[in-house]
Amino acid sequence: MRGFPAGAGGAGAARSSAGPAAAGRGGKAAAAAIMRALPGLVRVLAARGWGRAPRRCLGAMSQYGTEQRGRPNSADYRLYFKNADGKYISPFHDIPLFAGSKEDKEIPPKRSRTTGSEVLFNMVVEVPRWTNAKMEIATEEPLNPIKQDIKKGKLRYVANIFPHKGYIWNYGALPQTWEDPNHTDNNTGCCGDNDPIDVCEIGSKIRSSGEIVQVKVLGVLALVDEGETDWKIIAISADDPDAHKIHDIDDVRKYKPGYLESTVDWFRAYKVPDGKPQNHFAFNGEFKNKDFAVEIIKSTHEYWKALLHKKADGGNLKCTNVLVRDSPFCCSEEDARSIVQSAPAHVNGDSVSPEVDSWYFFTK
Amino acid sequence: MAGYSVEERAAPHSLEYRLFFKDAAGCYISPFHDIPIYADAGKNVFNMVVEVPRWTNAKMEIATKDPLNPIKQDVKKGKLRYVANVFPHKGYIWNYGAIPQTWEDPGHKDENTGCCGDNDPIDVCEIGSKVCSRGEVIKVKVLGTLALIDEGETDWKIIAINVEDPEAGSYNDISDVRRMKPGYLEATVDWFRRYKVPDGKPENQFAFNGEFKDKDFAVNVIKSTHEHWKALIAKKTDGGEINCTNLTVSNSPFCCSQECAKATVDAAPPCKAANPIPPEVDKWFYYQKN
Repeated sequence: MRGFPAGAGGAGAARSSAGPAAAGRGGKAAAAAIMRALPGLVRVLAARGWGRAPRRCLGAMSQYGTEQRGRPNSADYRLYFKNADGKYISPFHDIPLFAGSKEDKEIPPKRSRTTGSEVLFNMVVEVPRWTNAKMEIATEEPLNPIKQDIKKGKLRYVANIFPHKGYIWNYGALPQTWEDPNHTDNNTGCCGDNDPIDVCEIGSKIRSSGEIVQVKVLGVLALVDEGETDWKIIAISADDPDAHKIHDIDDVRKYKPGYLESTVDWFRAYKVPDGKPQNHFAFNGEFKNKDFAVEIIKSTHEYWKALLHKKADGGNLKCTNVLVRDSPFCCSEEDARSIVQSAPAHVNGDSVSPEVDSWYFFTK
Repeated sequence: MAGYSVEERAAPHSLEYRLFFKDAAGCYISPFHDIPIYADAGKNVFNMVVEVPRWTNAKMEIATKDPLNPIKQDVKKGKLRYVANVFPHKGYIWNYGAIPQTWEDPGHKDENTGCCGDNDPIDVCEIGSKVCSRGEVIKVKVLGTLALIDEGETDWKIIAINVEDPEAGSYNDISDVRRMKPGYLEATVDWFRRYKVPDGKPENQFAFNGEFKDKDFAVNVIKSTHEHWKALIAKKTDGGEINCTNLTVSNSPFCCSQECAKATVDAAPPCKAANPIPPEVDKWFYYQKN
């Protein structure tokens, strides 16, 4: 909990650019308990800044939990994942892509009565909406915890590109997917970026880093980021109050006018303050619909399967997993535990440099 | 001005929350009446009391009707007020606050807007890079002004920049804002036009077709609100429920002692950890602009 120095902190969220522990609200000091009346009560400790106890993610009634190691807003910070049985797992490999599948031992997908036959996917949230810290699944570390990206030796914070503040959606990845760098995509003409496929979740609620959310896929944007294929799936949490109205990309245009345009704008410009050029897109930056998006997801799922079964060359990627039984990379619970325990103990976080709050304007 | 500090009472984001002000000697003062309007009159550098840090939503205000005028959170219909996020904006898009020793007199009809004053100190949108803290007192260069008519009352919005901003030297008038932060002034008009619509209020209007007036014009507006405040604090104008208790305005009939001020602060509940902000505050409102 932050203290109260003279010149009192700005309503908590003045530090909303802070990293993983701040869940987009910048160090709010109190804990909120959310009780749900579904089988198995789950309590969530809302982000309270630094120094939390191991968290349980509420997400879509999942019982996935996380465990912080190291110091928030530092290079040694790691967020490891645990499943409902308390076993350490990889968020890249051990969380089922399809929510409610038989591998997904969670409670059946939430709101399936309103989503009907709509397919739901699990999303791993990396960056809460309106925050700046570039948190990512560490694909080259065993058990793939979330950590903050480092560029040129410094912790990476995404710029605020006027009129935007940080990321403008909850941002993350679909587990069990992989954009294979050895494969040239037919649509973009570029190779994959060597990461799980990215998701922009457009619901009202600000999610926490490490949260697992069941999402409906709505469409996809074909970003070409620094020459690599980098699909951006557009999705909404199945339990969003508007989810019953939003089923495809046209519904996003209808109910959230300007959001898709802002999304293209953001991805086009977001690295320019770091001295990189503007990004490009396939299909002239048009969004493709849900069916197209689902096909893209399925193909990245196939690449991931090949990776986990050593049929594709993963280079430096770590495929250590606990639950993909037929994978040559499957390890024991004990091995997983010792990986996590070798990480430094969790301590209170550092503050974030004020330059993260600068707003970049593009002058003519 | 160096040396101002704050003392929090009760929990942030509660009805009882108060942020009291102290001077460099640690004596309680009113941020409305006891902080000088000017940091440097010759250079048009004014003091600004920050009420709402950029990108936050809690509607914090100088409590004009309470003794010592602490900052507190506005309440509407019995509930703590949070300003909506009107897409593409997130909360307030500048550090927002007030210039001390100013007052928009509700008994006076402004010749520019045709409306009476909103009974508050004059508002400032500070456009620098730093996200300031609630209760911070900063020195600002005035650059221009927007003539908002908010629910039928005159509500000037001064555009200013923190003198400590690394680029402050390049900002001397409203045209510099247009040149160096393209889109910011348009976004400002857009924000003020629409920010109450999610609460069921109509869009706001502006004088001068929503055009920004320049620095000289803005400084004159501020000076006239300073004159209105002087009349208020000398009891020449009836301030109604405005509380004019102050520590430093020597010819004011409302001047009081430090003992009296201390008693006011001591009556407030002790400082506590902040309450969480309700998640509905995070919602983004979308609708077409007219």
